[in-house]
Amino acid sequence: MEPNSKRRKTAEPDGASSWEVQPVLSEQESQGIRLMPVYAAPVLDKKETCRLVKEVSAVYPLSDYPHLKRIRACLSVGSPHPLEIILCLASLNGEQAGLRSLTELFPSGQVDLCGLGKPFLAQVPACAPLTRPQYEEAVLHWPVSFHENKRITQALKGCLFSPLEKAAMQNHMELAIHTAQQGARQGMEPVGAAVVDPATGRVLAVGHDCRGGSNPLLHAAMVCIDLVAHSHGGGAYSYKDHPACTFLHVDNNAQHPPLGDGLPYICTGYDMYLTREPCMMCAMALVHSRIQRVFYGTPSPHGALGTAHHIHSRRDLNHRYEVFRGILEDQCKRLARLSDHKESG
Amino acid sequence: MEAAKRWRVSAGESEAWMDRAVHMAKDALENGEVPVGCLMVYNNEIVGKGRNEVNETKNATRHAEMVAIDQVLDWCQQHKKKPEEVFTHTVLYVTVEPCIMCAAALRMMKIPLVVYGCQNERFGGCGSVLNISSATLTDTGEPFQCIAGYRSEEAVEMLKTFYRQENPNAPKSKVRKKEFSK
Ligand SMILES: [Zn+2]
Ligand SMILES: [Zn+2]
Repeated sequence: MEPNSKRRKTAEPDGASSWEVQPVLSEQESQGIRLMPVYAAPVLDKKETCRLVKEVSAVYPLSDYPHLKRIRACLSVGSPHPLEIILCLASLNGEQAGLRSLTELFPSGQVDLCGLGKPFLAQVPACAPLTRPQYEEAVLHWPVSFHENKRITQALKGCLFSPLEKAAMQNHMELAIHTAQQGARQGMEPVGAAVVDPATGRVLAVGHDCRGGSNPLLHAAMVCIDLVAHSHGGGAYSYKDHPACTFLHVDNNAQHPPLGDGLPYICTGYDMYLTREPCMMCAMALVHSRIQRVFYGTPSPHGALGTAHHIHSRRDLNHRYEVFRGILEDQCKRLARLSDHKESG
Repeated sequence: MEAAKRWRVSAGESEAWMDRAVHMAKDALENGEVPVGCLMVYNNEIVGKGRNEVNETKNATRHAEMVAIDQVLDWCQQHKKKPEEVFTHTVLYVTVEPCIMCAAALRMMKIPLVVYGCQNERFGGCGSVLNISSATLTDTGEPFQCIAGYRSEEAVEMLKTFYRQENPNAPKSKVRKKEFSK
């Protein structure tokens, strides 16, 4: 470790430190909730509720919005009516002409309007919440059902990983940081990466960004993917000019689970540690390589995972990987200073 | 504002180079390889000729375009040319739409124009899945122009044939298992 990191006030003697690992969720999971307008009305007589729900639902089913509860308890304590009911969807901008009345909404008398108050417009969540924060935001507007993904909730609370796992993550990121520093000494972009087989804990490859050399596309992730290929007897580039880029020789048959169809998805089941969020090319290269998880230290303004695009979690791509950020974030951020004299990128 | 920088090739020129690319893809198919043809043309000269090398390198990123970019870099070194000068005047002819990764790489190399055959529905980076070629992306070179559709039916047909050979239920051929991961 570099001397300056020992001086960090947050560093603790047992190796634990102040960093926190956060999941990088899909675009749908990380965005705020979207609202849509509906017609709702007070239920003036609680005893009519059951019948009203049945009759209104028959005329205006909400089958595309199964997350929405039809009824909510009134928000204000002093409300003259106890409940409110969703009548139907309202058009996004078609209501300027004025609110429609109950008889306009139910012109053919399919609903006995007894017990319903004057309709009003309400904003309700347009989609089912996918995460607890989304759920908590959604219910401020209207009650919704929520099928909680416990793993995501745990990850958001920062308690998905045990202290032992976090210690291993820190070790692996320290390797990536160290390699980035070695690369920077060669005048390379200070970005490092490591590939680990989580099943055995073995480090298969460590590498640094080589784009400052003869090939501008040799970003750290591309280097590490190729080093893993080398470790399995393949590989496209030579690293003799970059001695800090190394790989472990793996006995192909014994060490790696049989690859699906004998196809070279050589990173299947592996984790990659990256000091910085990868760019679009690298994020997609990790899709092609079938990486299992990516851990990055610090976001990049040009990143294609958490910062924008969410390449790891797009439903229209045939492979998805889990992403976590924040491992040794401060140290990873500090790497950028090694290239402050250069153009960032 | 980009209009002045737009790269122009005549339709005849495009067709001639695409014919060569389709021919390459046919050769690849006959050899049991991923049927993609890919040419980098600079000053009317082929400076890169990529084929999919995913299987032999065990590196899933070795798409034909990435291989061709490396060849152009080598060519620049041999001919003592600045890569930036060469790539900004090079046209890529490829039988299949470049994937998202390759499209990002082509941007970073500042290739001005890509002429391609058929769409890449699974990974396409020039509109099929994402529009990397024209998107606003920071620190990822420049957008490039695309001309699509040259001999696309043939390109699709070759890929289908390749898949059929790959299908384990199809009659066994001597062809070694290869993947298509354009
Ligand atoms: Zn990159
Ligand atoms: Zn590609």
